[in-house]
Amino acid sequence: MAEWSGLHSSTSRHTMDKSITLPPDEIFRNLENAKRFAIDIGGSLTKLAYYSTVQHKVAKVRSFDHATKEATSDELYEISVQEEVTARLHFIKFENAYIETCLDFVRDHLVNTDTKVIKATGGGAHKFKELIERKLGLRVDKEDEMTCLIKGCNFVLRNIPHEAFVYAKHADSEFRFQTTQPDIFPYLLVNIGSGVSIVKVESEDKFERIGGSSIGGGTFWGLGALLTKTKRFDELLQLASKGQHTSVDMLVKDIYGGSYGSLGLTGDLIASSFGKSATADKEFRCYMAKSLLHMISNDIGQLACLYAKLHNLSRVYFGGFFIRGHPVTMHTITYSINFFTKGEVQALFLRHEGYLGAIGAFLKGAEEDNPNQYSWGENYAGSSGLMSVSPDMNPMQRARSGTFDMLEMDRLERKLVNLPLLQDASSYIPDTVDLAEDALAREYWLYCFEEALDGVVKRALASQPDMPEAAERAEKFRQKYRHKLQTLRHQPL
Amino acid sequence: MAEWSGLHSSTSRHTMDKSITLPPDEIFRNLENAKRFAIDIGGSLTKLAYYSTVQHKVAKVRSFDHATKEATSDELYEISVQEEVTARLHFIKFENAYIETCLDFVRDHLVNTDTKVIKATGGGAHKFKELIERKLGLRVDKEDEMTCLIKGCNFVLRNIPHEAFVYAKHADSEFRFQTTQPDIFPYLLVNIGSGVSIVKVESEDKFERIGGSSIGGGTFWGLGALLTKTKRFDELLQLASKGQHTSVDMLVKDIYGGSYGSLGLTGDLIASSFGKSATADKGFPKEDMAKSLLHMISNDIGQLACLYAKLHNLSRVYFGGFFIRGHPVTMHTITYSINFFTKGEVQALFLRHEGYLGAIGAFLKGAEEDNPNQYSWGENYAGSSGLMSVSPDMNPMQRARSGTFDMLEMDRLERKLVNLPLLQDASSYIPDTVDLAEDALAREYWLYCFEEALDGVVKRALASQPDMPEAAERAEKFRQKYRHKLQTLRHQPFAYGSLTVRSLLDTREHCLNEFNFPDPYSKIKQRENDMALKYYQKVVKSLEELSWEERQFALIRGVLAGNVFDWGAKAVSDVLESEPEFGFEQAKRKLEERPWLVDSYDQWFERLKGPPHKCALFFVDNSGLDIILGVMPFVRELLSRGTEVVLASNSAPALNDVTNGELQILTESIAAMDPVIQAGLREDRLTLVQSGSSSPCLDLSRLDKVLAMVVRERKTDLVIIEGMGRAIHTNYYAMLSCESLKMAVIKNSWLADRLGGKLFSVVFKYEVPAAGHDSEALTPP
Repeated sequence: MAEWSGLHSSTSRHTMDKSITLPPDEIFRNLENAKRFAIDIGGSLTKLAYYSTVQHKVAKVRSFDHATKEATSDELYEISVQEEVTARLHFIKFENAYIETCLDFVRDHLVNTDTKVIKATGGGAHKFKELIERKLGLRVDKEDEMTCLIKGCNFVLRNIPHEAFVYAKHADSEFRFQTTQPDIFPYLLVNIGSGVSIVKVESEDKFERIGGSSIGGGTFWGLGALLTKTKRFDELLQLASKGQHTSVDMLVKDIYGGSYGSLGLTGDLIASSFGKSATADKEFRCYMAKSLLHMISNDIGQLACLYAKLHNLSRVYFGGFFIRGHPVTMHTITYSINFFTKGEVQALFLRHEGYLGAIGAFLKGAEEDNPNQYSWGENYAGSSGLMSVSPDMNPMQRARSGTFDMLEMDRLERKLVNLPLLQDASSYIPDTVDLAEDALAREYWLYCFEEALDGVVKRALASQPDMPEAAERAEKFRQKYRHKLQTLRHQPL
Repeated sequence: MAEWSGLHSSTSRHTMDKSITLPPDEIFRNLENAKRFAIDIGGSLTKLAYYSTVQHKVAKVRSFDHATKEATSDELYEISVQEEVTARLHFIKFENAYIETCLDFVRDHLVNTDTKVIKATGGGAHKFKELIERKLGLRVDKEDEMTCLIKGCNFVLRNIPHEAFVYAKHADSEFRFQTTQPDIFPYLLVNIGSGVSIVKVESEDKFERIGGSSIGGGTFWGLGALLTKTKRFDELLQLASKGQHTSVDMLVKDIYGGSYGSLGLTGDLIASSFGKSATADKGFPKEDMAKSLLHMISNDIGQLACLYAKLHNLSRVYFGGFFIRGHPVTMHTITYSINFFTKGEVQALFLRHEGYLGAIGAFLKGAEEDNPNQYSWGENYAGSSGLMSVSPDMNPMQRARSGTFDMLEMDRLERKLVNLPLLQDASSYIPDTVDLAEDALAREYWLYCFEEALDGVVKRALASQPDMPEAAERAEKFRQKYRHKLQTLRHQPFAYGSLTVRSLLDTREHCLNEFNFPDPYSKIKQRENDMALKYYQKVVKSLEELSWEERQFALIRGVLAGNVFDWGAKAVSDVLESEPEFGFEQAKRKLEERPWLVDSYDQWFERLKGPPHKCALFFVDNSGLDIILGVMPFVRELLSRGTEVVLASNSAPALNDVTNGELQILTESIAAMDPVIQAGLREDRLTLVQSGSSSPCLDLSRLDKVLAMVVRERKTDLVIIEGMGRAIHTNYYAMLSCESLKMAVIKNSWLADRLGGKLFSVVFKYEVPAAGHDSEALTPP
C-alpha cells in the first residue's frame, strides 16, 4: 500500500523555516541544462529527479603523426585535455516542507530546457499538483505509483553495485552488501508504507501485487499514537527501541512454564502479542511501543516468507517508510525473516530505497531515451551515501539527512557486462578485502589514503601548469576527498 | 497457541454463587458407573469427560417354540423387553467458577469405579491439579494439549455427521453443514487462542504445527482492553459488532480517492489498520476501535491460514479456539477474510463441538486400551445440548444456559458403520433431500407436524407398556423433553447440524429410548404381522394367475399399496385408528392411477424383459401388510427370475418399521408356506441383513459393515429403496453406481403439495447410472 498516508500533518506541525538558502553548487547541481523532470511526493519527503548534461574535462592521448611532425620531440604521443559532455541523473530528496523553496530555486536556475512535462508519482502528487504547475510552468503528468517503484527498483539493482544489503545489528559490520547479480529477476518487493504491498517482480515490465496486509507502518504509527500518546513516528521508534516487550506480551513460558518442547516452541517465543495487557495493571509507553513493533514486524516477516515460498522466490527486498533507514525496523524484520525461514530467505534492504519512486517516474518519462540501454554508475562525488542508522551515533548527520540527500548517476558511454569467462558470475566479488568488515585493515587504508592526499594534490596541480585556477580546484578536491574519508571513518558503509 | 491466557481473572471478577444445586438427572448423568475420567481446563471453561455404561430397555422378538407351546396363542412371536448395557461418552462443559461444586458432586455420586487416574489437559490443568486430586482422590495425569486437541478433532469429524459447518451471516441459514467425508485427512486446524497455532493434520497420529502467529485472541483482548478500557472479552466483541472501522482505518480510497484499479484494489479495502489514528486530533469511539482491531486480527489470521493452506495444498481449514467459539462476529470476519484471500478456493470451516476437542482427546488418550477408534459412535440427541444460537441478541436465555452447563453425549454403536459401496460419489452424497435449516416454510411445517403428532406418540408409548405403573410418568417426561427439543429447534434450527425430517425423527427415537420406551409400536407391529401372514398365500396365488405383464405391474402396485400402511404418517394413522377393517384392497384403491407423479414404470418394465439382475439390495420399510403382502411377493418374483436378494432392515426399532429381528421370524414363517422363499433361504439366494440404522430414514453413508460386505460379495446391481422416509425425505437425489428403484407413496398432503402431487401420489423412480438416457418420466418441481 502507498506510503503516503496523512503524514504531512505531523511534519507541518514542525514549523520549519521555508526560506532557507540553498547552496546551489552542492544541492541542485547542473540545473542549467536540466531536462526531463520527475517528482515523487511521499508522506513526508519529496524526491526530485532530473537529467542533465555535464561538461567536464577529459584527458586524451594521441599518437604524433611522425611523418609530418618529425623533429618536434621524441615523445611517442601527446596529451591533450578536452571538454566532454556526459549525461548525468540527479536525484535530490528533501522534506515536503521545503517543496516551495525548492521549486522556486529550480525555476530560477533552469536555463536551457525545452521540457514541458514533469512526471509525478507518490500519494502526495495530487496534493501539490497545482503548486508544481504554477511554480515550474510544467504540466504534471501522473504515473502509477507501483509501476514507478518497481522500475526504480530494477534500475538501482541493475546499475548500482552493492545496492542491496543485509542488516545484522550485532555483527562486526551492521551492513553486509550483496554482490550485484547478473540476473536481478525474479524478486519479491515488500513495500511497507501505511499498509503493506507484496509485489512479485518477474521482469522489467512484469510485476504483480500478489499480496498485502493492512498491518503496516500506519498501524504502528496509529496504534502507537493511541497507546502512547506519542504522535511522531520517529519518537515511537525511539520508544520502541528502549522498551521491554515481555511485560506486555504473553510468552510461551508464561503459559507453559517453559518451552513447549513437542511443538518446538521455545519459552521466550511470543505466544500472544499484548496477551498480558487485558489483565495487567500497569502500562508503560515504551513497553507497548516495543510490543507493537515486534507484532507488526513479525507479522510482515511471516507474510513475506510465506509469499516467497509460495512463489519460490529467494530474494526479498524490503522498503517503504517503515523501513527507510530505521535500524530498529530493519532489525526486527530481519529477525522475523530468519525465524520463519530458518535462514533460507534473507531480508534485503536497498541503499537508495527512498529514491525508487522518483527514479521510476523519471524513467517512465525518459523511455524514449532508452535509459535501460546504457549502464550507469553512481557518482560518489555527488552522492550523499547511506546514513549511519544507529540513532544515537551521529545525530548531526541525521539532522542533515532530514534536509537534503542526493544521488547522482553518470551515464557510461558503453554498456558494461560480465567477463564471460567468470566461473560463477553471481558469486564473483571483485574486492579481496571488505574494509567495512575488517576494522584493522580499514584503519590502515584510511590513514594511508589520507597520508597520500597531499601528494595527489601536488600531482594534480602539476598536471595543469598553465591553468591559473587549478590551485583553487585542487584545494576544493582536497577538502572534498578528506571529508569523504572522514565520513567513511565514521560510516564505513 | 493455548487458549488459556489470563482469562480467569476476568471470570473471577464475576463473583458467582458457587453453591448452585445441580440437577443430577440432567447434568452428570450415569455417574454411578462412570469410569475413565478426563478433564480439560481452559482459561474460563472446564470440560469434563467420562465414559459410562447405560442400562436401558430394548425390545426383543422371539419365535414361540410351537412344539411345546402349541395352544397358548395364535401369535407368531413373543415380544420381550430386556435390559441392555451400552457404552456412552459424556462430556460436560461448565465455567471454571463451578469447578469445586462439580468435583464435589462427582465424588459424591461415583459408586462403581475402579479408576485411579484422571487425564488432564489445557493450560489451567496445573492450576487445579491439587484441587482435583484432593476432591476426587484420583491422580492427575497431564496430557499434551495439542495432541489432545487433534485427537478430539479427528474423533468428532469421523463420528458426528454434520460436525463441520460454514458460517454465512447473511444467508437464509447462518450455518451450512458439511457432509461427512469418507476420508477426513489431510486438513489444517487453525486454533485461535491467545495466539494462533496452525497445525497440519495428516493422519490419526501425524500432525505438525507448521505455523503460528502471536496476533490472536489475546491480542484482541489485550489491545482492546488498552484501547477501550473494557476488560471483558465478550464485551469487547459486543463493542466490535457495533462499531464502524472506517473512521479508524485508512482505506484505499482515503489514499487514492477511489479504487487502485491497476492493482485490483477496491476503494473500500483497508489499506492500513488504524492508519487514521496517528493524525486524528480527537479520540475515537470505543466501538470503532474494537471493530478495527477485530478486522485487523481476523484478516491477518485469515491470510496466514490461506497461505499455509496453499503452501501445503490443503483445502479443508477448520478454525477453533476461544476467539472463534460460538462468536458469530469472529466467525463472520474470519470467513470474510478467507473468501477474500482465496477467492472462494478455500472455505472457512467451524466445528459444532469445537469446545470439547481437548476433553475428547484427553479422554481418548486415557482410553486407548479400549480402542475407542475401533467403534462407530453416534451423537445422542436426547442428552446433548446442541449448538447454541450465536446471534448475540437472539436468545439471551439460551446463552445464559450455555454459560453454565452444556453437554454432549455419544453412544457407542454396537457395529461399525460404513458407506454403501454402491454410492456413485461418497464424498458428495447428502442423505437428506431438504435442509430445513435453509427452508423456513418447510421447517415450520415439519416442526408443527411433529408437535401435532406428539400426543399420538405418547399414547402409543403408554399403550406399549400397559402393565408398568410408572410408564405414565416416563411418557410425560418424554413428552416434555421432546417438546422442549422441538422448541429449541424452532429457534436454533442448526442445534444438531442440518435440521432435517430425519433428524427430527431420530431425535424422537433417542428421546423415547431415553425414557425406556424402546419400541412403542411393538404390539401393533405384532398384530399386523400376524394378520398379514394370513393373506400371504392368497395374494401370491392371485398374482400367479395373472399374465407375466399383468403380474409385473400388480407386484409394483402391491409394494406401493403395502407402503400406505405407515403409522408414522398422520393421514394414515388417522385412517387406521378409525377404520380397523382398512386393508390391502382398500389401500390399493387409495393409490393414484397412472401416470404417477413420478413414473418410470415403462422403463422398468422394459428392463424386466432383459436379463435378470445379479443381486438386488432391498431397503424395506414397514411391518405388516407392507413387508408381507407388498415386498415379499416382489422378492419372490425376483428370486424366480434368478436374482439374488438381500433384504436390509433396521437394526433397532423406529415407528412401525420392520426390524431385522422381526423380519427373520417373518421370513421363516413365509418360507414355511412358500417353496420359492424357502429355496431362496436354503440356497442362500435370499439373505437378511441389518442396516445398522434405527431411523425411519436412511443414511447410506452409515450402514452396517456386514451389509457393505455382502453387497460387494454378491456383486449387487440393483438397489431398491422403499418408503417416504428412505426414498423421499432421504436419498431422493442419491446417485448410485448401479440401477436403482425408489418407490414411495406420499402420505403427507403438505409434501404432496410441494412435489406437485396430492395425498397418495406415487413416486416410482427407476434410474440407470451414466447410461445417459432419461429414465425419469416426471421430475417433481
